[in-house]
Amino acid sequence: MVEKMGLPTASIIGSGFLKQAEVIVKGQGVPLAIGVYPGAPMVDSEAELRRKVEEELAPGLLRGLTGEAPREVNAATEPAPGQVVFSGTFDDVQEHFHQKLWTDGLPIVPPTRERVDAFLRFTDRRPEEVLRAIPQEGREASILSIAITGVMAGCRPEYMPVLIAILEAMCDPKYRVEDSGSTPGWEPVVIVSGPIVKQLDFNFGQGMMRVGRQANTSIGRFVRLYLRNICGFRIPPGAGDKGSIGQSFLVAMAEDEDSAREIGWPTYGEDRGFKAGENVVTLHSVVAITSPMYSGGDNAEVHVRQWADVIGGSFTYWAHTGFKTGLWSPLIVAGPSIAKVIAGEWSKDRVRQHLYDNIKVTAERTTHHARMTSTPTFSLERLVRDGILPPEYAASGDPGRLLNVIIKPEMVEILVAGDPGRNQSRAYMSNHVQGPPTSRKISLPANWESLLKNQTRKN
Amino acid sequence: MSEQNEPRYQVLWPLSRRAVRETKAAARLPDLNGKVVAELWDVIFRGETIYPLVREYIKARFPEVRFVGYEEFGNFHGAREHEVSATIPDKLKAHKADAVIVGIGA
Repeated sequence: MVEKMGLPTASIIGSGFLKQAEVIVKGQGVPLAIGVYPGAPMVDSEAELRRKVEEELAPGLLRGLTGEAPREVNAATEPAPGQVVFSGTFDDVQEHFHQKLWTDGLPIVPPTRERVDAFLRFTDRRPEEVLRAIPQEGREASILSIAITGVMAGCRPEYMPVLIAILEAMCDPKYRVEDSGSTPGWEPVVIVSGPIVKQLDFNFGQGMMRVGRQANTSIGRFVRLYLRNICGFRIPPGAGDKGSIGQSFLVAMAEDEDSAREIGWPTYGEDRGFKAGENVVTLHSVVAITSPMYSGGDNAEVHVRQWADVIGGSFTYWAHTGFKTGLWSPLIVAGPSIAKVIAGEWSKDRVRQHLYDNIKVTAERTTHHARMTSTPTFSLERLVRDGILPPEYAASGDPGRLLNVIIKPEMVEILVAGDPGRNQSRAYMSNHVQGPPTSRKISLPANWESLLKNQTRKN
Repeated sequence: MSEQNEPRYQVLWPLSRRAVRETKAAARLPDLNGKVVAELWDVIFRGETIYPLVREYIKARFPEVRFVGYEEFGNFHGAREHEVSATIPDKLKAHKADAVIVGIGA
């Protein structure tokens, strides 16, 4: 941005991030002068840090400002969208795509013109329509690219309206897709709401988050493939995805809306601001998952107290990142049998309030967690002063004072799903402002019903 | 099935067009004496220690250089990234910045 203003700029980059910097440079079209910090600054002694700055980083920055201008970005010539780029047997195609880093390590369905056209029939939008030049490679998030990636991921053509809604959510600047390759290695989960859950045969019952049901699995894989191929988040030997350890793609989630209605709770889609009966997709980052949360008893409090215990134990450490940004969301998948007991006494809002009131961390512990991660200057007082956290987070200077781990009750998300025959729930933690819950209505083509009928007959 | 009998697939390019307008690098400043260097920091990875050391190093070679500290610009990453980033061009102009150091990507 600054170089575009005509000001010579030099950037401080850790040596482990140089490949990612190259990807970003290409995506932004801006040459970058770099001063390299060798290794990881968070683990060096004061003396080592000084030596590295004086011997390597500072000289590099100075050269970047005073020496030769960084080389311009010369992106290689590429094929046109929709162009046939290879012809061969199934195995040949797999090998070619593997060599080009166009797969996720699993075989892909060859994206032939016929298969892609079948997907495009399930939208009224033109294939060349572009939703956004999407970070981090700055490629066009086109309807065509969605169809091609959907084919490769093993989706059915009739999933296309869901795939488009996913990209619409991903393209929302508030979702911050550009942070998909950050070191915590968070993974998006897709949450599908509305009648389309049954129409497309999503699993919302026992084993809902397992690989195994085509709609859940292939749509989850689609998201990871899109992030890899179009957005440019690739692990080595590629570049751009700096998830230090990372995690596998998550299959798409869907709510057991019949159970939610039966117990008198609003559905997740309604919680997200949509009307009953509307088809909705929500994208939600997942940086951590609790252990299975088993709870027993015939009253609401005993179950929600158990949730507070497990969620507190699992997510409190990482909550400091939410404190730094003023946002994080726990998403609770409430087992239907448990949700029924709770809903008999409590509203969803009362559940949220209970969790907000009962999950605590001391100021000293959260400050320690932040300092260990990346931020030696972490200060609750400054975050309150800057309006990022509510005033109670700096109510006193006592390091032993208790803080709410959940910043606001309304940040708690609840969805009913899972095995109705067991007393288990689970919770998913978002990665602060990276990938906050972001929803889009699914737009169906005008002839959806007849298309779906014909497709079902073919299948 | 022998390879001869296997179907062949004509496959489409799975990526999409890069929508990037290339920008030329700004002219560099061989002499920083009398110039203003602005600092932008994302408030992580020990910048509070690194920036003063960088300042010291550059000042030793260009004593007349002037720095505008990162505190003037706010955290350009995180909670208020979009709002803070939007204010940076005007602040750079107000401080009459000639060059910028940005960090820390690590």
